[in-house]
Amino acid sequence: MHKKKKLSFSNRVFHIFNTIFWIVVMFIVLYPLYLVVIASVSDPDAIVRGEVIWHPVDFSLVGYKAVFGYAEMLSSYLNSFIYTITGVIISIAVTLSAAYTLSRPKFEGKALLNFIFVFTMFFSGGLIPTFLVMRDIGLYNTRLIMILMGGVSVWNLMVARTYIQTSIPQELYEASMLDGASHFDYFFRIVVPLCKTIIAVLAVYYGVSKWNDYFTGLVYLRDRSLLPLQTVLREILATLQVDKSGDYMLSIADNAASMNEAMRIANVAKYCIIVVATGPVVILYGFMQKYFEKGVMIGSLKG
Amino acid sequence: MRTIKNKVPQNKILQKKVPQNKIRKKKSFAGIMKRNWQLYVLILPAIIYFFVFHYMPLYGIQIAFKDYKAVNGIIGSAWVGLKHFTTFFNAYYFKRLLSNTLLLNVYYLLWSFPVPLVLAIFLNQIRGSKKKRFIQTSIYVPYFISTVVLAGMMYIFLSPTSGIFNFAREALGLKAIDFMSNAKAFRSIYIISGIWQSAGWGTILYIASLAGVDQELYEAAEIDGASIWQKIRFIDLPGLVPVAMMVFILDCGRLLSSDTNKALVMQTAGNISTSDIIGVYVYNVGLGSGQFSYTSAIGLFVNLINFVLILSVNKISKKITDVGLF
Repeated sequence: MHKKKKLSFSNRVFHIFNTIFWIVVMFIVLYPLYLVVIASVSDPDAIVRGEVIWHPVDFSLVGYKAVFGYAEMLSSYLNSFIYTITGVIISIAVTLSAAYTLSRPKFEGKALLNFIFVFTMFFSGGLIPTFLVMRDIGLYNTRLIMILMGGVSVWNLMVARTYIQTSIPQELYEASMLDGASHFDYFFRIVVPLCKTIIAVLAVYYGVSKWNDYFTGLVYLRDRSLLPLQTVLREILATLQVDKSGDYMLSIADNAASMNEAMRIANVAKYCIIVVATGPVVILYGFMQKYFEKGVMIGSLKG
Repeated sequence: MRTIKNKVPQNKILQKKVPQNKIRKKKSFAGIMKRNWQLYVLILPAIIYFFVFHYMPLYGIQIAFKDYKAVNGIIGSAWVGLKHFTTFFNAYYFKRLLSNTLLLNVYYLLWSFPVPLVLAIFLNQIRGSKKKRFIQTSIYVPYFISTVVLAGMMYIFLSPTSGIFNFAREALGLKAIDFMSNAKAFRSIYIISGIWQSAGWGTILYIASLAGVDQELYEAAEIDGASIWQKIRFIDLPGLVPVAMMVFILDCGRLLSSDTNKALVMQTAGNISTSDIIGVYVYNVGLGSGQFSYTSAIGLFVNLINFVLILSVNKISKKITDVGLF
C-alpha cells in the first residue's frame, strides 16, 4: 500500500513538472507570433516606445494600408500565388503518378528508377552548374522556372509511394484488373480518389516550400515584374541591414505626408508584412491539418 | 498507427493470391504489355523532371575542371584540371570559410538534435487528447514561416532601437546591443532561431515511433510498479534509438551544406567574420562576380565531403547500432 502511494506521488510530481514544461514551451513557440500580430495592429509610436507587449496599443491599421498601397508588394503577392498554385498542382500530379508506378510490385525497372531518384538526395549538381544549365536551356528569367524548380521532392515521392502501397488494399487492384481495367482506369478512378490524405500532405509540403522560397527568384529572375513575394521581402530586409532606422520602407509609405510620417509608419508596416506574407501558409496548414497528421505519420513511419 | 499495423499482415495474406493471378494474366501477353506502357507513361514526367533538374546539372559539374566562358558554353570551354581546387585550398580565406561552416553546423547539430527527442517524450506523457492535439498543432506552426520572414523577425526583435529584446535588457538596466551586427552573436542567433523553427516539426518522426511502441510493455511496467521516469528511461528511449540514429545520419550528411539561404539573409557587414560560410561565399562570388568555374569547384568539393560523410556515418552506425539508411 505504502509503496503504491509513493509511486503515484512521484508520478504526480512528474505531471506537475510536465505541465510547467509545456506552458514554458508553448510560450516560447507562440509568443513571438502573437507579438507580431498585436504589433501589426498597434500604433507605430507605441511600438517604438516599447509599450506593445501583451496586447495591441492604440489600435490602428495604418501599417496594413501602407503595405497594400505598395504596388510592387501586390504584384509580387500575385506572382507568388500563381507560382504556388500552378506549381503545387503540377508537383502533385507528377509525384502521385510516379509514386503509383513505383508502388506496383511487378513494375520492371523499379530498382533502377528508385536508385536514380534517391541518388539525387545525396549528390547534386550544386548552385552554379544548375544555374548555367537552366540558362542554357532558356529557363532563366521565366515564370516556368519558378513553377518547376523543386517540382518533385524525392522524400515526398517516397512518402506517396508508401502511402499507396500500405493504405490501398491490394484486393481493389486485383479486382479491377480482373474486370479488365487498365492502369490509367485504376489510377484515375480508384487510386486518386483514395489518396485524399496524401494529396493534402503533398499540397502542404509543396505549397509551403514554394510559397516560402526566395532563393529561386533571387538567382533565376531578372525582371522585377516576375519576382515572388519572398524575394521582394528579402530586398526590403537587405536594405534594413544598412539603415537600421527603418527608412528602407520609405517607398512603401510614399503616400504618407512627410518623411517623418513615412518612417513612423515603417515601424509598424514591417510587422504587417510578416503577417501578410505568412498568413496564406498558416491558413493552408489550418485547412489541411485534419488530413495532415494522419498522412505525415504514415509517411514518416514507413518512409 | 494501429491502422497501418493491421494492414501490413493483410497485404501479406493477399500476396499469396498473386500467383493465381499471374496465370490468368499470362493468357494474354499482349494485354500485359498494353497495361505496362501506361505505367511508363505515368512515371515519364518524373523521369524528365529528374533528368532536366538533377542530371543535367550533374553533367554541368565538368565546368569545375574547366575555365568556363559564356561564349564557349559548358562543353566548349577549355579544360584546366584541378586548378580551381588548388586555388581554393591555397586561398587565405579557405580556413575561415571551412571553420565557419563546420563550426556553425556542428554546433547546430549538437544543440538542435536532442530538442525534438525531449519534446516528443514529454508530449507523449500528456494526458488528454485535446491538450495533446493543441500542443502538436502549435509546435508545428513555426516550421511554416519562411526563411526571409524568420530573419525579418530576428531583425525586428533584436533591433537596438525598437526591438523587444533590447527593451527587456534596458528594463534590467543593461545596455542595448545590436545583435545582428555582432559577429559573436551570429551563431547563437542562427542556432536558437533554427531550433525555434524546426524542433516542433522534428517531433513528428519520434511521436510516430513512440505510438508504435508495444502497449503491453507499458502495462507490464505498470504492474511491476514502474514510475513514469522509469518508463521513459527503459521503454521510450530504447524505442527511439533507431529513428534518432537515422535522423543523426541524415544530419551528418549535411555538415558542410548548412542552410545557405538563411545565413545569406542573416549576413550583415558586422557579422561577416562568422557568417561567411561556404554556401554564402559560392553565391556571392559565383553569381555576384561571375566566377562560375571556381565556385562550381567549391560546390563540388562540399558535395563530395558531404557524400563521404554520410556514407561513413552510415557505416559506423550500422556497426554500432545496426541501424543504417542503406
